[in-house]
Amino acid sequence: MGFTLVAPDQPKEACALLARSAPGEISVLAGGTDVLPDVEAGRVRPSRLLSLRRLPWRTLGWNGGSLTIGSTLPLREIEADPGVRERIPGLAQAVHAVGSLALRHRATLGGNLGRAAPTSDLLPILLTLDAVVNLVGVDASRSVPVDQFVVASRSTTLRPGELIASITIPEARPSQYVWQRVRPSNDISQVGVAAARASRPPYWRIALGGVVPRSIRLEGAERLLPAVRPLVSELEAAAALAARLAPFATDKRASEAYRRQLVGILVRRAVASISPPIVPPVGVA
Amino acid sequence: MIRSDLLAKASGATEFGTDLAEPEMLWAALVLAPIAHGRIRRVDLSKARAMPGVHAVVGAEETARLLGPGAGDPERPLFPSTEVRYRGQPLAAVAASSLAEARAAARAVQMEFDPLPIAGDLEEVVAEWPGSEAGSDPRMIAHVRASNGDLGEEFRLAEFVHAETYRTNGVAQVALEPHACVAKVDVGRWFVRTSTQTPFGIREDASSILGVPEASLVVEGSWVGGGFGGKTAALVEPYALLLSAATGRWVRLSLSYTEEFVLGRSTLPAVVRLESAVRAGRVTARRVRLLLDTGASLPGRDFATGYAIGFLLGPYRSDAFDIEGYAVRTNKPPFGPHRAPFAPQCSFVADSHMDSIARRLGVDPVAFRLAHVWRAGDVTPLGQAVGPFGLAECLEKAGALLAIWRRELPTADGFGLGVGCGYWSTNAGAGGEALLRLSPNELTIDQGEREIGSGSVVRGLVAVAERVLKIPSDAVRVGYSDTSRAPFDSGVFGSRTVGALGQAVEKAARRLATELGRRLGTSDPATLARDDDQLVAISGAVRRPVRELLTSEELRAGGLEFPGQHAAPPGRIDDSRVGAGTFYPYTDFTGAAHVALVHVDRATGAVRVLRYAAFHDAGVVIDPATFRAQVEGGVAMGLGSALTEETLWGPDGRLLNPSLLDYRIPTLGEVPPIEVHAVPGHPGAGPFGAKGLGEPPIIPVPAAVANAVADATGARVREMPLTPERVARTLNLLASGGTGRG
Ligand SMILES: Cc1cc2nc3c(=O)[nH]c(=O)nc-3n(C[C@H](O)[C@H](O)[C@H](O)COP(=O)(O)OP(=O)(O)OC[C@H]3O[C@@H](n4cnc5c(N)ncnc54)[C@H](O)[C@@H]3O)c2cc1C
Repeated sequence: MGFTLVAPDQPKEACALLARSAPGEISVLAGGTDVLPDVEAGRVRPSRLLSLRRLPWRTLGWNGGSLTIGSTLPLREIEADPGVRERIPGLAQAVHAVGSLALRHRATLGGNLGRAAPTSDLLPILLTLDAVVNLVGVDASRSVPVDQFVVASRSTTLRPGELIASITIPEARPSQYVWQRVRPSNDISQVGVAAARASRPPYWRIALGGVVPRSIRLEGAERLLPAVRPLVSELEAAAALAARLAPFATDKRASEAYRRQLVGILVRRAVASISPPIVPPVGVA
Repeated sequence: MIRSDLLAKASGATEFGTDLAEPEMLWAALVLAPIAHGRIRRVDLSKARAMPGVHAVVGAEETARLLGPGAGDPERPLFPSTEVRYRGQPLAAVAASSLAEARAAARAVQMEFDPLPIAGDLEEVVAEWPGSEAGSDPRMIAHVRASNGDLGEEFRLAEFVHAETYRTNGVAQVALEPHACVAKVDVGRWFVRTSTQTPFGIREDASSILGVPEASLVVEGSWVGGGFGGKTAALVEPYALLLSAATGRWVRLSLSYTEEFVLGRSTLPAVVRLESAVRAGRVTARRVRLLLDTGASLPGRDFATGYAIGFLLGPYRSDAFDIEGYAVRTNKPPFGPHRAPFAPQCSFVADSHMDSIARRLGVDPVAFRLAHVWRAGDVTPLGQAVGPFGLAECLEKAGALLAIWRRELPTADGFGLGVGCGYWSTNAGAGGEALLRLSPNELTIDQGEREIGSGSVVRGLVAVAERVLKIPSDAVRVGYSDTSRAPFDSGVFGSRTVGALGQAVEKAARRLATELGRRLGTSDPATLARDDDQLVAISGAVRRPVRELLTSEELRAGGLEFPGQHAAPPGRIDDSRVGAGTFYPYTDFTGAAHVALVHVDRATGAVRVLRYAAFHDAGVVIDPATFRAQVEGGVAMGLGSALTEETLWGPDGRLLNPSLLDYRIPTLGEVPPIEVHAVPGHPGAGPFGAKGLGEPPIIPVPAAVANAVADATGARVREMPLTPERVARTLNLLASGGTGRG
């Protein structure tokens, strides 16, 4: 279980180190909440750990309505940020849903995306916000929409020698993240639903977590909702469609049937909390 | 005042079992069966032996060679030689220079099996209820039965029969510290230092498993990082001793946390069917059947079924009843006792059932229980006399508080209140011996138990000495020595420590007080106080330093010594009511009634416990802080069993959630504010009238929560834990016109 720790302070140097190493020989270490248990359990056996802690990525900054979060900023600082809480409440809620307070003091957004777990509480909200992942490599930098970045569980489009530098959320949107677990605190969500209202079509973005191989947008359900306030009947139809189409499976955390039931409920709740549905006056269909 | 062990524990200085180490020691790893049931074709250790750093690899054959042919208990072999009975059963053990090398070698052992069918599911057996007579079924390894009265007549006269089936799931021990020990065998001396609740029990167990005389075995308890019953039987110790015998070196064996989940003696599922005959607002007769999954436990070794059955009628009068229980053997690991073995599960069943009948009758559930509950002077269904017992008073107080909370209950949908009742009785068991030694500046309590976390040893015993002698607690030290030197005591389990060992301390302290009084020249017992760092003995106006009261021999020997013993008189069961099996006539009945306020999300089934109160008859409370801590801890733990904790088993006999991520104990986020109330006036046999409290606080919790959920939603969830999915399923059934109500 022996390894050496390297902690470069220049992104290019970190990328070069990565690029020079054989696969499996080096592991990237951000907060370490996924990597260190893997090392401990022998699921990975790197001879070196590349720590990101000295890289200049523990940042959070607004540019007008757009927010950029450094990949190594601890999650706790995101949820505690007054601007995030006020302008992108769904992001603060999703971050708050991750693990425990102690965990969030270490875990990072970069690590969550790097791991790309199907049970991630952050991917659904990032999908509804059209987040962009900013990558640096040895020779070049590039930006990839989060939808294209995460492929499947533990699989991303990160190339050899590339690191996640930051995540950009182009537009602050009214948003909400709701989830269900066996144990409310510090558990893996059985289902998570994120919703956000955008300034351009499709006006509603709804995404689902807890599905294999990764979180997805529920575009069919999104299309059933009007630009601003849905009618109760429209919301019901969207929730029902979401429940019907969600590609769920049974595992040790929940049965498929229960997950389906949850999706309907959570879609209804997420959308309603952003924009309470209109109850038509009596006599109107 | 801070409890004497806490600063070292909080600062990390305490040496728990997992911290044990010796210079030059070897590290051990177990080779665990990768299948749940099969005939062993081959366990080939040769590759493992050739691995780097390996000092010894032992399997069934080597064990016979090391211990001598025929040594040890043939029913409990260290390693099976013909058949694997559960996934995770040890098949061999490795000692190597490092843990990594030991584990690597364990992985290199080659094994072949002829698979056999896996008996895993209690439901298969249930499906055959009530058809075939279970007695002849080879899966049933124990049968217990008790009955009384004319059941047929009462069921004929009944206005209705309330019939329900309940299910409970397995709960894991989850002590933060897994089983761990270090061992060294020298000529004729088998020594093990281990984290255990029962040093003398481990000695007895290891002696029978290894075939080594008790006189040659020495067990020294380390500090215990939590023990809830899982550390009362030998588990890692015989393997570490065997490997030390094979290598001549110190050997350390600590289970990984995953192994701890599998081998650490979880409880297993049970199914209970109840039928109650109801007439004129009373339950007049009851018929109860229990199926208890006892895993790969041995036939005839099952203590559990009679134990569980005893609790299934609840603390309620029953003139006519017929209770019957079967232990079912499955290919799961052997199960074990967990804090108040079966009582929280049985209370969930019995008290949900009572609550359900009350709701069907449309009467107040608390008043309904009060009309049935045992009181002092009553006789239990098994014919045991109930001594001082404060459950009725706990219930009355719980009912009064519930009425207040009901008035304050939010009017929004989904809030509800419930009461749960539980009782316990203690077994002081063999022994209870302590030795008090008074030196000029300190009183030492020498005894053979280690503190397991509850405070019963480091605080409970001290509180007794404090009460008798008025001595300041920081002048009292609890001494410990290994089984070769300590006075015998049977262990820290069964809520017995203060009741049994505490009495021994009380008796010794009283003798000491009388003798000091005599030496002061008075006929009254003396008390002790501190003057600078000297102890002084006081009787009336006479006051002298202890130093001046001790003889020179006593001073040389370390102080004035007095032993105290305790042996509890056993209770009595009416044998004419016992049809089959063994029941346990424990004494000193303690009772508790709990109140839970919950919110149920009707759509998702999620239950949150928002407020909680516990009323306990613990006899005379000898230390209020420890009393409160025990009740709070027990409630928190009970909330886990009630809502989230369960072991999940695959059809291949695999434990699916052997980690703290998927086996969900409550976090502080799930524990609401807890009101804790002592209900005094019903003294027990312990020192000053104390009763046991280690186990009782966990017992009523699942019932209180389930009854509150029924109150909030009208849905009776008949399986614990009440996970959101289970609650939702019951609510869905209700919405679709099914039978959730009751
Ligand atoms: C007890 C517990 C509870 C948890 N609960 C939740 C939960 O409720 N919801 C949830 O979503 N997750 C949960 N997780 C998962 C995990 O903590 C999060 O995914 C976390 O955000 C990972 O961040 P990290 O910084 O610790 O990642 P690390 O462990 O440091 O890294 C994770 C992976 O990402 C890679 N990586 C990290 N940073 C970068 C980067 N900048 N560029 C490229 N690759 C990178 C690493 O190489 C590694 O493969 C839980 C984990 C634990 C242990």
